[in-house]
Amino acid sequence: MLNYAGSPRTTDVGYSPRQPVEYSHALHAGELGLDCRYCHTTVETAAFAAVPSTQVCMNCHARIAPESDKLLPLQQSYSRGDPIRWVKVHDLPDYVYFDHRAHVSRGVGCISCHGRVDTMEQVRQVERLSMGWCLECHRQPEPHLRPQQFVTVMDWVPGEAPAVLGRRLRQQNNIQPSTDCSTCHR
Amino acid sequence: MSSLDETLARNRTKTWRTSERRNSEQGREGAGYAQRPDAESAEADALAFWPADCGAVTRRRWLELMGASLALAGLSSCRWRRRELLPASRQTSEAAPGQPQQFATTMELAGSAIGLMVTCVDGRPIKIEGNPHDPASLGATHVYAQAALLELYDPDRSKDVYWRHGLEELARSWQEFGQFVRKHFDGLRKTGGEGFRILSQSSTSPTLAALRDRLLKAFPKAQWHEYEPVAWHAGVPRIYYGLQEADVVLCFDADLLGMHPMAVRYARDFAQRRDPDRGSMCRLYVVESTPSITGVIADHRLPLRSGLVQQLVRRLYAAARQTASSSAPAAFAAFAASDSSHGSPSFLDSSDGPQPTSAPIQSHDDATSRFLHAVLGDLRRHAGKCVVAVGPGHQAVAQYVLALNELFGTFGRTFWYDSADGADGPERVRPLDELVEQMHSGEVGTLLILGGNPVYNAPVDFDYREALGRVGTSIHLSLYRDETSRLCTWHLPQSHFLESWGDALGYDGVYRVIQPTIEPLYGGKSAIEVLAMILGEEAGSGHELVKAEFLRRFKPDDGEASWRRAVHDGLFLVGRPAAEASAPRTAPPLPPIPEDEVPAKPRQLEIVFKPDYRLFDGRFANNAWLQELPDPITKLTWDNAALISPATAGELGVSTGYLVILSYQGRQWAVPALVLPGQADGSVAVALGYGRLAAGKVGGCDEWGTPSVGANSYYLRTSRALYFDDGLELRITLNRESLATTRDHFPIDALGTKTREKWAAELVRQTTLARYLDDKTPYVGEHSAAHGPAGSLWEEPQFSAPCWGMVIDLSKCNGCGACIVACQAENNIPVVGREQVLRRREMHWLRVDRYFQGDPNDPQILVQPVLCMHCELAPCEQVCPVAATVHSREGLNDMVYNRCVGTRYCSNNCPYKVRRFNFFNYHKHLEDPRQEVLKMAHNPQVTVRSRGVMEKCTYCVQRIQAAKIAAKSSGRTTIPDGTVQTACQQVCPTGAIIFGDLADPQSTVSVARRSRRAYVMLAELNVKPRTAYLARVGNPNPLLADQQST
Repeated sequence: MLNYAGSPRTTDVGYSPRQPVEYSHALHAGELGLDCRYCHTTVETAAFAAVPSTQVCMNCHARIAPESDKLLPLQQSYSRGDPIRWVKVHDLPDYVYFDHRAHVSRGVGCISCHGRVDTMEQVRQVERLSMGWCLECHRQPEPHLRPQQFVTVMDWVPGEAPAVLGRRLRQQNNIQPSTDCSTCHR
Repeated sequence: MSSLDETLARNRTKTWRTSERRNSEQGREGAGYAQRPDAESAEADALAFWPADCGAVTRRRWLELMGASLALAGLSSCRWRRRELLPASRQTSEAAPGQPQQFATTMELAGSAIGLMVTCVDGRPIKIEGNPHDPASLGATHVYAQAALLELYDPDRSKDVYWRHGLEELARSWQEFGQFVRKHFDGLRKTGGEGFRILSQSSTSPTLAALRDRLLKAFPKAQWHEYEPVAWHAGVPRIYYGLQEADVVLCFDADLLGMHPMAVRYARDFAQRRDPDRGSMCRLYVVESTPSITGVIADHRLPLRSGLVQQLVRRLYAAARQTASSSAPAAFAAFAASDSSHGSPSFLDSSDGPQPTSAPIQSHDDATSRFLHAVLGDLRRHAGKCVVAVGPGHQAVAQYVLALNELFGTFGRTFWYDSADGADGPERVRPLDELVEQMHSGEVGTLLILGGNPVYNAPVDFDYREALGRVGTSIHLSLYRDETSRLCTWHLPQSHFLESWGDALGYDGVYRVIQPTIEPLYGGKSAIEVLAMILGEEAGSGHELVKAEFLRRFKPDDGEASWRRAVHDGLFLVGRPAAEASAPRTAPPLPPIPEDEVPAKPRQLEIVFKPDYRLFDGRFANNAWLQELPDPITKLTWDNAALISPATAGELGVSTGYLVILSYQGRQWAVPALVLPGQADGSVAVALGYGRLAAGKVGGCDEWGTPSVGANSYYLRTSRALYFDDGLELRITLNRESLATTRDHFPIDALGTKTREKWAAELVRQTTLARYLDDKTPYVGEHSAAHGPAGSLWEEPQFSAPCWGMVIDLSKCNGCGACIVACQAENNIPVVGREQVLRRREMHWLRVDRYFQGDPNDPQILVQPVLCMHCELAPCEQVCPVAATVHSREGLNDMVYNRCVGTRYCSNNCPYKVRRFNFFNYHKHLEDPRQEVLKMAHNPQVTVRSRGVMEKCTYCVQRIQAAKIAAKSSGRTTIPDGTVQTACQQVCPTGAIIFGDLADPQSTVSVARRSRRAYVMLAELNVKPRTAYLARVGNPNPLLADQQST
């Protein structure tokens, strides 16, 4: 019971904090079809998948719905220069060094860890993101691999059996996920 | 997910707010950032840019949970505190968060300059490295540059402008100072600057020089003075050495490789001539009173009182002249050519060859004479490819050294000089004594002090404190509110070089740009900005001033583009003065040497003032990294001592730790003694830079109650003898002081000092060039004990490429310690303080062991950096009960801090004693909001360890991972050799540390590992360390072979 109580399955899955701005991924990423990388620009080049600056939002919202109450924090942030204080949903312990680039550039889809974000009105954590969960994929990455161009496609369905595709991709791209401790813990 | 999971997940979105969560959120919304007593939660929520050292479910929390009754709703608070993400409102830079960027800048130090590459993350610098294109550094740095990062983030730095009014000291703003400037200096302008004096630190900045000229034009009666407590070189002219061309190097009290403006470059050049597998080795003779870094790497070292060094130089010159005619270079060239066996440098001949006719050298000291004789022979044989250098303090014989170099035909080949820049000639820049005289006589109405700390480090007979009291208005611009600031009318906070714009020509005249890497943390201004303020110039920002001076000086065709290129590169190599093209010139006639000159017998003990290898002249006294860095020679931390040779100590009855009173020129001064083998007899050396009373919480501050570190040797330093002097008396007291040295720490074999000497020869192996080149002698690397091949009890693991490994070349390492500070900066290694160092708990992952060998009165000093060997069959891994230290497939011994429970069995089992344990939370002081700025110095790529975990060198795994990720993401399968450089390797001036992939047979490390000199420590244990050493190969002169045992 204690194990269950302390497990990330219990404590982390479903975490969905209220954000300062009611940003809906379902609207923007789902309905409007924005690619993940339009906002999360550094996901292929850096360890952190950056939360976008207010300026990115204002690219559209300078003209679209400028008087909306929901967007008031946005306008304030842009005019004053203060950041919007987003609450981090997918948080790992500080001694874990996760690198987005290493995964996204190698064909791990966003959905594998973050779920169907394009259907979420408010982002919630769907996977437990524990070390055991990470090791499941590191030990057997085939089911989670996809061609790199489909990484951000939420509703992508593989043309062939995932195991077969995964095996081929793994071989082609020489994907050798390490299970050494220093891969993530430094 | 199971249905239960789903139910809970649904419920959780509504029941997330528990009592604990609510309090924290309310606290945040209500009062903003609130200081909470709980250690874990006191980390900065608002400053969410770097990871705080808080684990997931901490042990304390877990015990709380186990003890409490567990309602399911209450469990939703088990996750750690919520984190916020604060993106910039407007995207200004292209840098990704957490992604490092590098910027080129320059560090100035007492008139020298070294180009740096500063790694910045999220808008702040976190690591300093050398600029590989800078000829003065070639990618390496000295310890001061490494530690400059901590100086930037020092919480004790001055944050405000202060104005002294009567007995009060009031904080003021820059605007108010600006008003004062306008009023005061407008008045001064009318009188032409009557009584206006400026005292500056030594600087080669063209912008500063231009502002100085403008200032002196605006205030014609003003005078500009310069003062540095440590002069790098023996007066004018400025001398450059080409050590990579020199076969014989002779240093008289000249620490070319350790304490010289070009030390980093010279160390590299010199090290390139110390590889017996590559070309011919050079030979280094050093004559010095106190062991130095140059002396450590010397082939022959003669400890001699500094007072007698000048006589030795004269004797050498006399002996050299005796065999020479007036056309000296031709004579030596002819001599060299006539004897074909000496046409090419050949150090294998035991015979000296035909001797030139010369009068016998008179002496009354056998060892010195033999030394001189051998040196002279060597210099003659390698005429044109030798270097004779003399250190500061011997200006009296500087001309002799020039003449010697001329005699041996080195001008233009290994030796260049140029006279001081015309602009800085005596007419423009005056020395300190003139200023002090005027101050005492009350002539100085306004004194502007740009940097420096003359109240602390001016010669004591100047009585600068008293003189300053007679100045009408004094203004001090400095990094800290130090001893001088407290006595000045105005104190201005100076911006650190990492926060300011500037430029510097350095010692070699290369134009370098100083570029800020962060906005001034405390609103400081640089010297050029203050001068522009006083001049009332429109373009007053540092950036505008430097750029304008650049454009004026170089007038580049493409203007802006050249400037941007210069800022990008850190250098602008066009327009470099042609110091190399100096034609040989005859030295002015020297006074004749008396025929039978007998060195005068010294009367008493000699005192030698030497700049400290860690604190320099005292300016770094508040730098904890430098205070804790063991001195390269004495291994002393957090203290200074009077260094005395064993013979002299025996005569005086002094032992290490005795508090002694030094009497000199009527002043008495107490300092602990340290007996140092290798120190010259009759000479007592003391380091400068200690005993600060207004440095800060680290170095000592009487206002804040922090005890002063070390003893202030400036108290004895007079202007007539800034470097050394006779006439010292030493008296013993009954007090004993404990000196925090690391010399005995982590000995490989602590059992029995009797066997230590035997072990040392196994651990630090060395040989001579003659023996090494002789193919018949067994490999140096071979283990000397005879036993069968080592086997192991279990199956040895197989490794996949890359196989990381390291080789450290002991022929090149001179023990400077830059690697130690680099490792500390890169890996967030804490400082533990003096008390803990006394308990052998210093946390440096990399230590430099020092051994003495040979005659205790004239030993050879050997140094060896020791770090985690990453043994393939690691004894530490086998005994960890929780598998916190495991082996990676690439050969790294991984240390997993979150698993470690602090058994310390691994450290117990490590035969090399390279593991360090956090006995306390050494970062606890960072919870104090006043000290929090120090967190900015942390490298976000490396965990900050808390109490109770073991740590050790990781081969900079964060750099390896970064390189691997970059390679894999780009679709490459291999990492080119040289891409991954460990922090220690990167900054080593000599390039002694080589790191790379052992699986690649062409990589530098593989080639080095195959060398005949390669060996591993304690090979008989069969732990298969990945770190190997290359035995030190000395190149002794056969004539002196019995003096230096190698």
